[in-house]
Amino acid sequence: MCAAAVAAGAACSWYEPAASSTSIAPVGPALPGQPGGVFTTARPTVGAAVDDFLNRPSEPRQPIEFPHDVHVGKNVACEFCHEGVDKGPAAGLPSVRTCMICHEAIATDRPRIQQITALRDKGLDLAWQRVYGFDNEDSVRFNHAPHIRAKVECATCHGNVAEQTVAQRSVEHTMGFCVNCHNERQAPVECVICHY
Amino acid sequence: MPRWGMAADLDRCNGCGACVVACHAENNISTVGPEEAARGRAKHWLRVERYWEGDFPDVRVTFRPVLCQHCDNAPCEPVCPTYASHHTEEGLNAQVYNRCIGTRYCANACPYNARFFDFFNPSWDKPLHLQLNPDVSLRMVGVVEKCTFCVQRINGAQVQAKAEGRGVRDGEIQPACAQSCPSRALVFGDLDDPESQASRLSRSPRGSHLLEDTGSRPKVAYLARQA
Amino acid sequence: MDRRSFIKLTAVTGTSAALASCGVPENQLIRFVPDEDIVPGVAVWKPGVCPLCAAGCGLTVRVMDADADVARNGQLGVVRIAAAKKLEGAPNHPVNRGGLCARGQAAIQVTYHPDRITQPLKRAGERGDGRYEAISWDDALADVVSRLDGLEEAGNQRALAFLSRGGASHRAVLIEQFLARFGAPPPAVYELFGDEVLRRANATSFGREQLPTIDLANAMFVLSFGADFLGTWNSPVAQAAAYGVMRQGRPGIRGGFVQVESRMSQTGASADEWVPARPGTEGVLALGLAHVIMAAALRPASAAGRAGALVDGWSDGLRSYTPEQVEKITGVAAARVVRLARQFAEMRPSVAVVAGPPLAHTNGLFTAVAVNALNALVGSIEQPGGVFFTPQVDLAAALKMSGRAAGAPAPPFRLQREGADDPHIGDAQVLLVDGANPVFTAPRVWGVDQALAKVPYIVSFGSFLDEMAVLADLILPDHSFLEAWREAVPESGATVAVASVAPPVMRPLYQTRSTPDVLLEVGRRLRRPLNLPWQTFDQMLAAAFAALPSASPDADAWTDAQAKGAWSGPVPPGLGRAASLPAPPAARPIAFEEPRFDGDAGQFPFHFLPYPSSAFLDGSLAHLPWLQEMPDPLTSAMWSSWVEINPAAAERLGIGQGDVLEIASAHGSIRAAAVLTPGIAPDMVAMPVGQGHRTFTRYASGRGANPVEALAPMTEPATGALAWAATRVRVSRVGPPDGRLVLFAGGMREHVEEHR
Repeated sequence: MCAAAVAAGAACSWYEPAASSTSIAPVGPALPGQPGGVFTTARPTVGAAVDDFLNRPSEPRQPIEFPHDVHVGKNVACEFCHEGVDKGPAAGLPSVRTCMICHEAIATDRPRIQQITALRDKGLDLAWQRVYGFDNEDSVRFNHAPHIRAKVECATCHGNVAEQTVAQRSVEHTMGFCVNCHNERQAPVECVICHY
Repeated sequence: MPRWGMAADLDRCNGCGACVVACHAENNISTVGPEEAARGRAKHWLRVERYWEGDFPDVRVTFRPVLCQHCDNAPCEPVCPTYASHHTEEGLNAQVYNRCIGTRYCANACPYNARFFDFFNPSWDKPLHLQLNPDVSLRMVGVVEKCTFCVQRINGAQVQAKAEGRGVRDGEIQPACAQSCPSRALVFGDLDDPESQASRLSRSPRGSHLLEDTGSRPKVAYLARQA
Repeated sequence: MDRRSFIKLTAVTGTSAALASCGVPENQLIRFVPDEDIVPGVAVWKPGVCPLCAAGCGLTVRVMDADADVARNGQLGVVRIAAAKKLEGAPNHPVNRGGLCARGQAAIQVTYHPDRITQPLKRAGERGDGRYEAISWDDALADVVSRLDGLEEAGNQRALAFLSRGGASHRAVLIEQFLARFGAPPPAVYELFGDEVLRRANATSFGREQLPTIDLANAMFVLSFGADFLGTWNSPVAQAAAYGVMRQGRPGIRGGFVQVESRMSQTGASADEWVPARPGTEGVLALGLAHVIMAAALRPASAAGRAGALVDGWSDGLRSYTPEQVEKITGVAAARVVRLARQFAEMRPSVAVVAGPPLAHTNGLFTAVAVNALNALVGSIEQPGGVFFTPQVDLAAALKMSGRAAGAPAPPFRLQREGADDPHIGDAQVLLVDGANPVFTAPRVWGVDQALAKVPYIVSFGSFLDEMAVLADLILPDHSFLEAWREAVPESGATVAVASVAPPVMRPLYQTRSTPDVLLEVGRRLRRPLNLPWQTFDQMLAAAFAALPSASPDADAWTDAQAKGAWSGPVPPGLGRAASLPAPPAARPIAFEEPRFDGDAGQFPFHFLPYPSSAFLDGSLAHLPWLQEMPDPLTSAMWSSWVEINPAAAERLGIGQGDVLEIASAHGSIRAAAVLTPGIAPDMVAMPVGQGHRTFTRYASGRGANPVEALAPMTEPATGALAWAATRVRVSRVGPPDGRLVLFAGGMREHVEEHR
């Protein structure tokens, strides 16, 4: 708007009477390579909102059919892949780098292993879907580490993973489920222990 | 059982605003932009108030950081129909977002204007969202939010202390505002521990509480400017 | 089946099935293999260095895993990265000791800003219209190299110019070396609120061309002449920490504090007593105090030594600065002058500080020298509770390079060169720009944009499309401070020498490159290579820190400094910047001269004071949304520009709170909303600098007004520094409140609603 005045070297006031809208908008054309988009806490799709309202979690579809039973059967400890579980709040879903620690050498003739090796070579990771976990609207902050220290078995909340291939949502993480256990173990049940 | 509180030394506070931004950074408080701010919808769990005395040339200013006072007799608690606003055993005035149905009775009852209503789902222009603190939930549209005394830091320190088989040390827990304060005007601690720095400062002869006559029994002590 | 289940069933089978296909199904998410192993959910704290001002505060950065949107090989997806989450002050850093100002905490938004420049860009439209196209690094560097080779072939190396913001750092040494070896003049340095006048005065009075470190923590009485030492000046976090101790950190002792200034700053608001003196006469008040102290024989004139000898009439006891005379010039009552003098002499240790508006007049050097003499008179130099000078490592010497002669005065900023070796920007064939934005921060009458229009080739290292970068032909975006090796050599804030340094905190988010590394690579690629002895910037840092003694018995200085985020300690012999400069030969004693103002007092009845805003300093931080929404300490304004005016003056002109005003100088006019405040003299209006950007990302573009545009080209003659407080203006009301002034405070937050 003032470009002409500026080019002519004239002073130009950039203060103008309030327009109908002073909303924030990028001025000028967007530059190449800039990230876009907005992050909000709203659900990504209308369908997700409806599912949320009906308390109907979506069925996770995993990128590969990971056999938990085989790995647990070979005595691979849970925290080998879910390495944050005894250190902090999140157990974590392993990246393909973790898989390749063993599978660079082990069972390299299996088609599924060759599949993930090829994926890794393309720079692609396994896009795991969460099986458990809370929605943002639950305002729950769960911390794994103190539960591990209190010797709560993984199976208490996650079912017997040794009998599952792909992890299933076999335990419903309702608030009652948490509070019952906290009461039994005389752990605190104050709201802000979890909700903040 | 501790009873958390704070002492704010107005003789040290010089209004720099470090605490205000620290609070935004720690607690995932979204900025609302100029239009919404003009409608009074800006959210600052902690603000610095200024009080002018006198006319030119004999002018004096006092700054006062105001946050939720975590009142022992909090006016916001009895008015909440869903018990979203309630008192914890450790003396925090807590807000449980998933209980909140957005009546805003609490915000109207609060004498300190320390409660803020979310008129929208918060949003961040990507990738500003990479900064968000995973230890604090994002409040959705239609709830009231407020200072928590950085309860995530309190819980974190207590979990850590328990893992190490000890109690929480005085000064170990610092809310983001107190941590950032360059002049160390804000001191957080257990008011039931007579030796804690916060409780010693709260007993100072310079100390007083904000709007005490409402009977709210606030837990933030303000130490007056001298001279 | 009850009603609730029925509704559920119909919803699930019908609606939700239809709606689930709306939007992007999460299952098609592409994930890339992360570049590093990160334990999810566990915070790691890493050292950092705050880049936003010259204070050089140490950071500790909270780093955790996060999922970032990225594009790789033309494919969009997410990747888990180790992301900085929060910046806090490093607890053991010798300057900031755990604290961090509001601006420093918001610095993280620089890294994650949505409008960051993510890759090299080449201009695709007219200069200034902001149209750019992507270009590869290889092509971009080849372009720069061919331009520089062209200058070299033509024997015109002096036509290479470099514009930066100054401050001592290894980065600055690298730039100087680059230019010197190429045969170009040293970099032109422009800083709107630079402290050239104070540095020059300290060089003259004390032999130290440097900003002072004030030992507030041990002072009993602080007399500040306009220095916003708790807000925006020098090393505010270090100063605020010491201020807290001065007030309430010593059992039973509370230091007193008086501020002299005609517009109350954030610092002045904390003073026990606020003394408005007429603009440009603060030095007279300082000499008035010195007169009383000497006349009452509280201290002998000789105590001031060299600093006193510089002041005209000092040895005679400053007979022309009697309290009555001082009252006439400054407007401060004679009795008050006497009382302040006694307080200053008797509440020992006492210290005087001067900076900001008092030095931004045509007689600024006099004012600074006068305050220096007052400090020297009461023995407050290099004494507990007084003025110190942080020992400085000679960075060039530590690298065994020859640099600017120690203590040589910094060359003034000029658009056109005078001597052949003068720094300049206007006569350049190739101009490289790092950080400075004089298009925004220099008075419009200087004609910076016209001068730049004549430069055929401009390269910017900027991360954002601000008024300067938008004129560039090529943009080579720097890494953010969290993505690269960062360092700073604080000029002030500690009584021992300090050098802050930190390795990259996180991997670069984009296709950016560290500017020092780009310079090194360009130097290698030239037809006649520059033969700089380092391949990368961290090699240079390693060499520099290796020359320092280690502060730890377990590690060498370089390893130890990286782990701690700083090196500090005594300066080894041979590596210190000259402890004391010789007194200038036969310096003519400095006497008070009336400050000169641009604009006739009849036609332009108000003094105009643009001041560094608490949020944005000189405007370089206006793109950070946290700072835009942070209420200003004195007005609670957010996202706005405003003009501060005394209520009495406002009443006379029929101006109410929020009314739109026009501020007109002889050189330009601006409009902004009025804020009525008692903390300003009735013959002055003040405006924060920072808003009014033509282009500076979505958060700052087109918002508010820039007071610098209306400034007159007045300078302090000895240093050539802009006298930014020497413009007079007229004020007129042009309309009722237009809703652009957004205040947070005012009883209830509904305050703004009432005005709508």
